[in-house]
Amino acid sequence: MVARALTLWLTGITARRVDVEAHVADGLASFVVVGLADRAVQEARQRVRSGMTSAEFRFPIKRLTVNLAPAQERKEGSGFDLAIALALLAASGQAPRERVARVAAAAELGLDGGLRPVRGALAMAEAAGRLGADALVVAPGSATEAAMAGTVPVIAARSLRHVVDILADRDEPDPIPDAPPAVPSALADLADVRGQPRARRALEIAAAGGHNLLMTGPPGSGKTMLARRLTGILPPPTPSEALEITRIHSAAGLLAPGTRIDGRPFRAPHHSASAAALVGGARLRPGEVTLAHRGVLFLDELPEFNRAALEALRMPIEDGEVLVSRVAGSVRMPARCMVVAAMNPCPCGLAGDPDRECTCPPQRLHAYRSRVSGPLLDRLDLRVEAPRADAHAAPGEATASVAERVALARRRLADDPPQVSDDARSLLDRAVEGMLLSGRGADRARRVAATIAALEGAETATADHMAEALSFRGAG
Amino acid sequence: MKADAALRVVIAGARAGVEPGGIARRAGGPEKLLAASAERLQRLGVPDSLSRELRLARRADVGAYRAQLAESATVCATAADAVYPAAFRELHDPPLAVFVRGALVDAPLPAARAAVAIVGARRPSDAGLRIARRLGAFAAGAGVTVVSGMALGIDAAAHGGALDAGGPTIAVLGCGTDIAYPRRHRGLYDRILECGLAISEYPPGTAPAPWRFPARNRLIAALAATLVVVEARARSGALITADHALDLGRDVVAVPGAAGSAGAAGTNGLIKAGAGLVEDETDLAVWLGIDVPAAHPPPADADACAVLDRLSCSPAFPDEVGGPAGPGRVAALLSRLEVDGWVARDASGRYTLARAWTPTASPPSTATAR
Repeated sequence: MVARALTLWLTGITARRVDVEAHVADGLASFVVVGLADRAVQEARQRVRSGMTSAEFRFPIKRLTVNLAPAQERKEGSGFDLAIALALLAASGQAPRERVARVAAAAELGLDGGLRPVRGALAMAEAAGRLGADALVVAPGSATEAAMAGTVPVIAARSLRHVVDILADRDEPDPIPDAPPAVPSALADLADVRGQPRARRALEIAAAGGHNLLMTGPPGSGKTMLARRLTGILPPPTPSEALEITRIHSAAGLLAPGTRIDGRPFRAPHHSASAAALVGGARLRPGEVTLAHRGVLFLDELPEFNRAALEALRMPIEDGEVLVSRVAGSVRMPARCMVVAAMNPCPCGLAGDPDRECTCPPQRLHAYRSRVSGPLLDRLDLRVEAPRADAHAAPGEATASVAERVALARRRLADDPPQVSDDARSLLDRAVEGMLLSGRGADRARRVAATIAALEGAETATADHMAEALSFRGAG
Repeated sequence: MKADAALRVVIAGARAGVEPGGIARRAGGPEKLLAASAERLQRLGVPDSLSRELRLARRADVGAYRAQLAESATVCATAADAVYPAAFRELHDPPLAVFVRGALVDAPLPAARAAVAIVGARRPSDAGLRIARRLGAFAAGAGVTVVSGMALGIDAAAHGGALDAGGPTIAVLGCGTDIAYPRRHRGLYDRILECGLAISEYPPGTAPAPWRFPARNRLIAALAATLVVVEARARSGALITADHALDLGRDVVAVPGAAGSAGAAGTNGLIKAGAGLVEDETDLAVWLGIDVPAAHPPPADADACAVLDRLSCSPAFPDEVGGPAGPGRVAALLSRLEVDGWVARDASGRYTLARAWTPTASPPSTATAR
């Protein structure tokens, strides 16, 4: 007897179809899973056997073969458990074959026959809808997430027995709670940052134009505080953007069960992060640059990052997406994030401090600064120095009013971006002639000048806007 | 031949790792040293390693060596040659031979009065670097050759300024002319060779060594009629150069530093002892006997003048410039002043004056600054 079930397999942040075929034949008792299954899938045999027995099904003492199609692709993970169990039950006449073949199932089995959630339920529900499945069966922990897709009926079931009873119309699925409404998260407010008017200005321009930002300043000058407050002054994500963000976090297994994300992500990977951790690819999971999609990727201590890791970030930042190729296949993941980087002026952090002397030998200083030069630096449009903070400075403007200006400027930039005036262009030409900046730097200055004009509501970027843009080209 | 003898002694010295100049003088010249018997060499106190090399050098193929030098575009001039720099003859210990490499190798060396030497600290302040670069650019722009030692810091800035102005510059090295040292200055070395000269008394292949740098300082002092010391600590190498320059009767001038600043103790000491004071291009022009640069008309914008007034007190970040205008306006003013050449930015990102500025009004109180 052969029976089929449908399940889904997550690569990157999208789910692909996997057909599970179970064949029950006479012969010496055995249980084989074929179709390039990895260790976790092979272990499914033990979970399926125990789960079926615990749920008081009969585990056929026969020759059992399970095939995961397409058979030539390497598969991994524990999400195939439920579909394998259902296919075996259908093949041995313990579950309705027709219905099993038409629903998609994605859950891990416990030894007691209970269902456990899997990561990426949202992407799986979207794929199940695309594939025309009648429904998607998941554990209650994944149900809210899966239902957000809205493309396929979701069946929340507690156990293998519960699934079979629902498919045989003997029981009802569990009710699915809605994702809790957006809790106004206690975002840190810009008013907390004292002083630093120039760095705040840079942050506002960066937010308005979606520019990448580099802040240089001694430890304790508030670089990290400022960066953390950037998500607050960006306009809130649209519903479809929020869904994208939620899908990514769900695929990475970072979504708390039954919740959704409706704010912009802020990711701050440690500087020891590997290239795979930053751009993704380790077991085809999303990396930091994808987790920061529609939000902010903060690289603190930029020169301390591994050079190869920074190099790997270049393409995603340029293209807004990552293409990762591994033995297990290649995946494309979105990576449209703003990059905010921070660094000390020198390894000891005291260079340029008026009161204390920097002790870094010239060679070390040179090595430190040259570590951030090159392709990534070219993609940081705005560069600003954040000197040591003045503890007595007045608290700054609050997030809400800055966010209002940013939203307005973003609309202007989208509808009718300011053109660069002739005055501004000739100022820029003189700066290039005076070797103040390179051709690429001039390009950045033009973009920044347009953003500054938009913030002011001007129709053209004047020489004054250009002059301010030039001041953000960085030291040295 | 006299020239060959000097070259043979220099080669032997380089092989033995001994400076042969003093020994050759005691022996009565390179020819006599080469011809000396073993006993005489011993009486002269010649180390065994040098005696051995001198014996070998008698038979060395100097013609082939010169051909090899020519292949690497290096010219060798011994005291017997007409192209030997006249300025070096004034030294009490002139080099036996000098090796010259670079684009200007076939042109006669400038007379000392058409050259200025600019030297200073290897770890200078940003202000020191900037003034060295400015002075180098100004001198070279006026056709005066800029001589320095290609060391880190002030030396490199002086060469860099001269090269930016498209003018001639000479690097006097403490190693062979085929070696770019410090290695970080590889690019600078290449630029100097492209439009200037590298000079050394050591044959190509000689590695840099600590005692060779003070020795080459006397050559820097000899080559120029005026020596500018930009930032030097007490007991710094630049002061050795100043001593040599005074011995040779050259003018010594210094760029002053803040009172009590350790980084400028050497230069302030020179001024105390009577050295000329050079603060900007105008001062230097007087010493070099060239035209004083034209004064720049002050910016028309009153706010811009206020910014310059503030910067004349101390370098500042835009936030520290402050004033009634918002951060955007201040940044825009600073950028325009930068494009016009009034201000520049140091490595820490602070803006500083890039040319002399006389405050228009009473300087703003520093209470607004930190």
